[in-house]
Amino acid sequence: MRRGFTRKFEPVRVLTDSQVETIHKRTLEVLEETGCKFESKKALELLKNNGCKVDFDSRIVKMPSSLVEESIKKCPSNFLVRSRNPKDNLLIGGNTLYFMSSLGARLSDIETGEVRVPTMEENNQAVRISDALDSIDLYSAYTPYFEIEGVEPVMLCSVSLANRLRNSTKITRGAQATDTFIWEIQIAQVAGQELLGNMEAAAPLSYSEDAINAAFAYADANFPIYIAAGSVMGGTAPVTIAGSTISNSAELLAAIVLIQCIRPGIGIIANDFVTPMNMESGDLFFCSLGASLHQMAFNQIWHDLYKIPTNNTGSAFPYSKFIDYQSAYEKVHVGMASALSGANMIVFHGGVTAELSYNPLLSVIDDDVANIIGKTIEGFEVSEDTMAVDLINKVGPVPGTFINQTHTRQWWKKEYFMPKVADRLSYPEWKSSGKKDLIEKAKERMQHILDTHKPMPMDPEADKEIDKILDKARKYYKEKDLL
Amino acid sequence: MADILEDLKSLVLNFDVDSAQGLAKKAIDEGIDPLEAAKALTVAIREVGDKFGKGELFLPDLVCASEVLKKALPIINAEIEKKGQTQKSLGKVIIGTVFGDIHSIGKGMVSTLLFASGFEVIDLGINVKAETFLNSIKKENPDLLAMSALLTTTANEQKNVIEGLKKAGLKDKVKVIVGGSPINQEFADSIGADGYGATAPEGVKISKRLLGIKE
Repeated sequence: MRRGFTRKFEPVRVLTDSQVETIHKRTLEVLEETGCKFESKKALELLKNNGCKVDFDSRIVKMPSSLVEESIKKCPSNFLVRSRNPKDNLLIGGNTLYFMSSLGARLSDIETGEVRVPTMEENNQAVRISDALDSIDLYSAYTPYFEIEGVEPVMLCSVSLANRLRNSTKITRGAQATDTFIWEIQIAQVAGQELLGNMEAAAPLSYSEDAINAAFAYADANFPIYIAAGSVMGGTAPVTIAGSTISNSAELLAAIVLIQCIRPGIGIIANDFVTPMNMESGDLFFCSLGASLHQMAFNQIWHDLYKIPTNNTGSAFPYSKFIDYQSAYEKVHVGMASALSGANMIVFHGGVTAELSYNPLLSVIDDDVANIIGKTIEGFEVSEDTMAVDLINKVGPVPGTFINQTHTRQWWKKEYFMPKVADRLSYPEWKSSGKKDLIEKAKERMQHILDTHKPMPMDPEADKEIDKILDKARKYYKEKDLL
Repeated sequence: MADILEDLKSLVLNFDVDSAQGLAKKAIDEGIDPLEAAKALTVAIREVGDKFGKGELFLPDLVCASEVLKKALPIINAEIEKKGQTQKSLGKVIIGTVFGDIHSIGKGMVSTLLFASGFEVIDLGINVKAETFLNSIKKENPDLLAMSALLTTTANEQKNVIEGLKKAGLKDKVKVIVGGSPINQEFADSIGADGYGATAPEGVKISKRLLGIKE
């Protein structure tokens, strides 16, 4: 089981109890009065049989508050996801925080900021690096790159999953687009690994047939499901944090109602990826203050009231084109607020250039940063030993010193975190040792990982079987004229 | 006998300050050659010093290991003296943080590493007046004087001590090394110091070089 980080103090709350209660009631009101659109006859029938008001022409489902409340209660507050290597199992929920690797369409050149499509070898290398980084607990879908040289777009998600599973034993999220879930479930089962399934809304208040089919398939495989709505404040959601909190929660609760009707008790993790619109351009305003506050409210409502594990994506995609001061502050302010407000998962490592690129070198640096964020919520011990009153009295005033005390030797490693790639040299040492900066040191660590880290190999039979599944998928898409 | 010598070594490698005096007494009581006992301790502290230089051990390890020696060595040294034996060292060093400056950590690191390398170290502590350095040099006749200053305002005190050495006609009799964050090679040259080390391990290297000791 991966340990992740354990929050040892109450989460930061941005809402009062009565505000939480009000927001929840008004969310139920939206589901009862306006409802949510489901583009699937199968879903409409199931929801009707469970007491929803269903209009089969408009495909709108109005959900009674009592059913929504019951469905929330059916979601476990924590659940296990199994890897082919048990040390990489996850127990999602409670006070545990895991970090999920971020992603990007292409590989960025850290010197020029230019992006290009990576080769398969570069894709697999990036996965192996992530496998070695201890603060990465799991992967998003189509991680690390969602364009790979020589891979047809419709095959990308399945091929990407196959190569993640071949080069790492960490848990990964599946995808939903264009029936990819059919192949991803089969690939995971052959590899002997569970996926986090996937059901993503099309905001406002709608689910496409793909999303619904994915939910049925992942639930049928008995995989826990990651639900996401991903609306844009001012576009597909109200521009205000309170308003978009209600519309986003309504979308996610509608998914919970459907999934708990399909398979009661199934594990669900709810993602918050609600982003303000950049009113200068219409683009998404990633890593912004609005996204961060939204996540804090979301974590409070979903963790405290619904007791359903939460994921936050707000820190995944800094706008900066470089590994620089901007990319650092964009990620850290959002990631730290997520952790402090009780997120169970944070998407963090390696993303730059908004969603457009990823660089494994940044993941190596983010390994240190994620550790600092994670260790922040672990707080510190207050005990007779750590308060050290006897020691303070023993050492006394100057010339007393604590450096020669066994207490110092024993405790500093427990309480400190020493970042692996930050420059901590004195100026003369830095000058005389080649003036290496963070990037140079990260390159050295990355090379060391590539030279030494060996992920647990895939069983050769399973490996062959996965190729057969990918061949079947290609045939399927050819028949549908998608290849 | 070999067991006790091994135990003395482990004492240092395990940073076991609390057992230091007890085990040193036991070694003497059991008739272990005190020179051998002292050697076991210095071999171990040298190992700790080397690991610190390589980044495998850290400052609290180094200091705690030297605390073990501070507890155990006086007992063993007393026995050496009693038996009329003599110990070899790489050389005698007087070290201190200059007057007006109460920073002890950097000076303590150099002191510990010099000791771990086999030097006899007389540590005058912090806030050491020029007069105290000079008197100690006259009395102890050391091979090396090592001075630390951590403040730009106290760096010049190193110069005062060197000027004092010149006036007293001692400058040619003792090598002088300086260190501390405001110090650099240029400053060291300007005040007439013989050597400068940016880090504690460098300080040890320069000390050896100045005294013609091979690495």
